[in-house]
Amino acid sequence: MDANHPITRRQSLKRIARISASLAGATLGVSPLLAKSSGQAATTHKRFVIEGIGSKEGYKVKELTRMVFEAAGGMGQFVSRGDVVAIKPNISWARRPELAATTNPEILEAVIELCLDAGAKKVRIADHTIHDARRCFAITGVGIVAKRTGADLVFPRPSLMKRMKLHGHRLDVWPVFVPFVEADRVINLPIAKVHGLSALTLGMKNWIGAVGGRRSALHQDIHQSIVDLARFFNPTLTLIDATRIMIRNGPSGGSLSDVAVKNTLILSNDQVAADAKGARLFGYDPGEIGFIHLAQKWGLGTCDPQELVQQRIIL
Amino acid sequence: MRAKHLVWIRRISQAFFLGLFLFLLVESRLPEDAYLQYSLVFSSDVDLRLDQPVTFFFQLDPLAWLSGLLSGHRLIHGFLWALGLLLVTLFLGRIFCSFICPLGTIHHIVSWVKPALKGDRMTRANQKTPGHRIKYFLLITLLVGAVMGLNLAGLIDPISLLFRSLALAVLPAIGVGLKEIFDVMATSDIKALNYLSYGGEALVSPVFGYGYPAYKTAWFIGLVFLVILFLNRIRPRFWCRILCPLGALLGIFSRFSILRIEKDHAKCTDCKLCSESCQGAASPMPSQAWENAECLLCFNCFDACPEGALSFRFRCSPKLNKRPDMGRRAVLGGLVAGISLPLLARLNGHAHHVSDPRLIRPPGALPEKDFLRLCQRCGLCMKVCPTNAINPTLGEAGMAGFWTPHLIMTQGYCEYTCTLCGSVCPTGAIREISVREKIERPIRIGSAYMDRGRCLPWSGNGPCIVCQEVCPTSPKAIYLRKEVVPGPGHTPMLADVPYVDLKRCNGCGICENKCPVKGRPAIRVIAAGESRSLKNQILLTGSLS
Repeated sequence: MDANHPITRRQSLKRIARISASLAGATLGVSPLLAKSSGQAATTHKRFVIEGIGSKEGYKVKELTRMVFEAAGGMGQFVSRGDVVAIKPNISWARRPELAATTNPEILEAVIELCLDAGAKKVRIADHTIHDARRCFAITGVGIVAKRTGADLVFPRPSLMKRMKLHGHRLDVWPVFVPFVEADRVINLPIAKVHGLSALTLGMKNWIGAVGGRRSALHQDIHQSIVDLARFFNPTLTLIDATRIMIRNGPSGGSLSDVAVKNTLILSNDQVAADAKGARLFGYDPGEIGFIHLAQKWGLGTCDPQELVQQRIIL
Repeated sequence: MRAKHLVWIRRISQAFFLGLFLFLLVESRLPEDAYLQYSLVFSSDVDLRLDQPVTFFFQLDPLAWLSGLLSGHRLIHGFLWALGLLLVTLFLGRIFCSFICPLGTIHHIVSWVKPALKGDRMTRANQKTPGHRIKYFLLITLLVGAVMGLNLAGLIDPISLLFRSLALAVLPAIGVGLKEIFDVMATSDIKALNYLSYGGEALVSPVFGYGYPAYKTAWFIGLVFLVILFLNRIRPRFWCRILCPLGALLGIFSRFSILRIEKDHAKCTDCKLCSESCQGAASPMPSQAWENAECLLCFNCFDACPEGALSFRFRCSPKLNKRPDMGRRAVLGGLVAGISLPLLARLNGHAHHVSDPRLIRPPGALPEKDFLRLCQRCGLCMKVCPTNAINPTLGEAGMAGFWTPHLIMTQGYCEYTCTLCGSVCPTGAIREISVREKIERPIRIGSAYMDRGRCLPWSGNGPCIVCQEVCPTSPKAIYLRKEVVPGPGHTPMLADVPYVDLKRCNGCGICENKCPVKGRPAIRVIAAGESRSLKNQILLTGSLS
């Protein structure tokens, strides 16, 4: 094993689970992975990135979300019956969704519904917000989504930040928001925004909201910190909300003039690929963004179109 | 009505109002599951408000109403409750003290649970003393002071005192204590203990406060409360008898009360049981003249009398009740103190000069003079502040402003779209504002400035843009410029360095709060530039005002 890429406890558990699952499948005579993937555009083995675009006037964001997941083979590919799913939206700021500082609650609602339809036992929404969590929950619309779908909205309590070994290059031991470690599946649901230091905040940067501790100090080596965290949390899926993106004054925004409407969703099982796609929306070449460049170097994923199944859905 | 029944009605009423007070106290915060309907989320900025009428007891408090009226020339919202109470007092006497007042109930309980004195000694302790005049002295001081422009009523008003003590000292102390236990459990490797800790914290936080609430001078607020409770060991309901200015006010109004004690001299065997049980020291014995203004109407004497020599009856008679025994000294002393304190209070210069830079008042606070005339120092704004930024002052606002609210940015910050403090202020010392007004006018509470020697990029100690990142205005009041700064070892370094645009800064303090330099951050907020003051300005013109 590469000493620079030590395996985390979670990864090893996952690997064991995966091996035992395929062994079980093999003994039954059918490989579940193969059975599911036949006839689908993308499979869980293959890295994919799917772009969903709402082109019609007044299209339904929830509808587009569902279509994007269908194109990926359905939520059942990623979430199994009885799973506990933790979703990480970006609801750092107590701003209404229109201002594009936070993840669109309708997308969140659609994803939760898909998880529940796929048989998830429990869906948890969690974010360690920057503004007061109670106000963020109410104003960003996440509170009402939790209410309607019956998902757990986890309050970022100090006792839920547990010091863990991240084995990162920069971050060794850091307090981590527990729901993400305890879940069977983790789905990252960021919004695309500009940021003063890391240039952009997309999927991988969203993980700064999943830790506690002295977060303001992470900015002193932002790119490496992001990559360390992204590798630790390693989500099953990343769905970037780019229906509205923040093009200036990020990441807090506050004015409609900071917002550009892109009507786009980016779904990928490769966080680097998702972020690379997101970066292009802002006119960046993915290699220009420090953490994307670094994440690819560390082997978290790829921006290389050759290695990706790419698809575009238009509603 | 039989005495037993009356006493039980009183106990039920006391339990109800104490319960209501505690319920409203606990509800004076944003709940964890606050949510808005979908349609509201997508419309314009919405002001989050509390569901419960948390200011009810302040509306019921005639002293808060009267001091606000005399001093700030304003009628506080919901003052009709207070007027109603005065009207009731006119007919029924100090019924508030024994049936409603939550602080009175607490004293009642403390005095009753473990009486310090027994038998004859208690009877002697329950005799009227000249000390009872102190409360009139305090009341007169407060009211005359209020007319002269210094409103100190909230310091010793029982409702404000109890709210402040419980909200800022007692609840946080218990909450933090419990959470420390949960934290130990949370770090444990035993899963069951972890779950217990999460569950425990989820139960405790909504009642005792989220996170680790901290309030400056809270230890002192708590100490005062403990001392007041301890005084019950010297005399039952010491506070109500000797110190409470609201009790004094109600005592004066009870002169016309038609609910009077009836003493049957023939039946009295002089056993003094009535006096032993009288918590107000109102001379219930038939051999003494009833002190109507001291009587708390607890009906203990009525209940205690084995001979049926005492009873309470409604009786209209042209003869008024006994005059409250104020004593000339208390009146004159009150007048002198009431006149001199406001004059002394101005000597620290806060009224006529620019005040302390740390005196950052909550958004919507009135200009300092008007603010001090209305603020009850009850701590309601401090309790509801979701970030724990609002704290009681110690010396920042001078003697006149002791325990009034100010913001400490290292502890919290003023959230950009939050307008909660003004919505709960019982007297309107902090105006109720809307998000729109707060952002668009804008309401500034101070100004941020850089301390370049501490700032990481300015001092060449590494990149950091946290203050710019969290700055909530659009465009941001903190902007970055790429500049060459002297890095370590004489090597020039290119860094994004932050600057403050004073025209855009509203003083919210989130930059100071989130700055990685803790304790004394590299960017700090001072009160200068606050929009409520004409004098305390920096720029010749505010671009947006």
